Amino acid sequence: MRPVQARFTRRGALGGAAALALASCGGRDDPSSGRPQAGSGAGLLNSIVALEHASVAAWAAIAVALPEGPRVQAEVIGRREVHHAKRVAMLVRELGGTPPESRPQSEYQPMFPRLRDEAAALHFARDLEERLVRAYLDALRSLPDTEQRRVAAEIAVEEAQDLAVVALLSGGSASTQAFVTGVS
Amino acid sequence: MSVTRREVVVGALAAGALGAGPTPARASGNDQLELLLAFEHRLEAAYRAALAGDAVDLALGRSLLAQEREHVRGVELALRSVGRRGPRSSAPRGAPREALSGRRDFARFALALETETVAAYTQVLATLDAPDLLQPLGSIMTAGAQHQVALRRLLGEPLLARKH
Repeated sequence: MRPVQARFTRRGALGGAAALALASCGGRDDPSSGRPQAGSGAGLLNSIVALEHASVAAWAAIAVALPEGPRVQAEVIGRREVHHAKRVAMLVRELGGTPPESRPQSEYQPMFPRLRDEAAALHFARDLEERLVRAYLDALRSLPDTEQRRVAAEIAVEEAQDLAVVALLSGGSASTQAFVTGVS
Repeated sequence: MSVTRREVVVGALAAGALGAGPTPARASGNDQLELLLAFEHRLEAAYRAALAGDAVDLALGRSLLAQEREHVRGVELALRSVGRRGPRSSAPRGAPREALSGRRDFARFALALETETVAAYTQVLATLDAPDLLQPLGSIMTAGAQHQVALRRLLGEPLLARKH
């Protein structure tokens, strides 16, 4: 695979997904409304569902900016993010909560950086996956329930694999770090 | 001065080791971490044997071996925080002879072992009663997940398991 030079700012890449996650997670999970209980993990899980919805939209945008081979990988990863959103949303429902719904692609799109070329798309993808890895590793410490933590751990594994694929598509190695922490 | 991921993770593991003494409630944590350590020792032994027997690409093998050594040290630090009972009594099993007969055979063996190890981490992270260790152990698990991708690439398999 040929190396790709990244040519846009990290701030721009991270800004969209982060802002979406923050903007999407209020209102539906107020512990004072009676359910779910405060400390149940529902608030955190809802914020992750929102981030996953944003990630699905982000991967759709990334796929469009990639040539055919990498695009297939991007579509596979996008489908994995859909599945992650469903799994985490299910955990929220099991707590009696209502997970946030996804928005139309057109609402997410303005919040993403401009993906002018393959390099920009892969840079955005890397930042996105780093953020997802960190989100799930952070969640491990805060989620109170065994099944919630199992799901978070299993999805963290898949996000790290996705990050490895992005590294390969960018001309790098799948595995260069002994500790894959992600970034927030 | 920038702080590396390794320094952050090892620092977290060491902080756990300094800040927590052994308690009866953490006895099962000891067993769980011993299990993870056994897996990491197996992986370390397997990559070492593969490098010695030319059963793995040199650069990849060296990289993965170095990472497994870091993982062993990391899990050992975690074990201290839950009060490790004593030194291991048995040498780790490496790779069986048939797994070292060729690079494809070894890659297949290593992929299976990495997959088993990652599964063990997900189980332990779900149930381990040591909140301060979950993130650093998780960052070892995610490194193992990336090893899976590297090995699938060697084997010419789809990079991502098709579960979805």
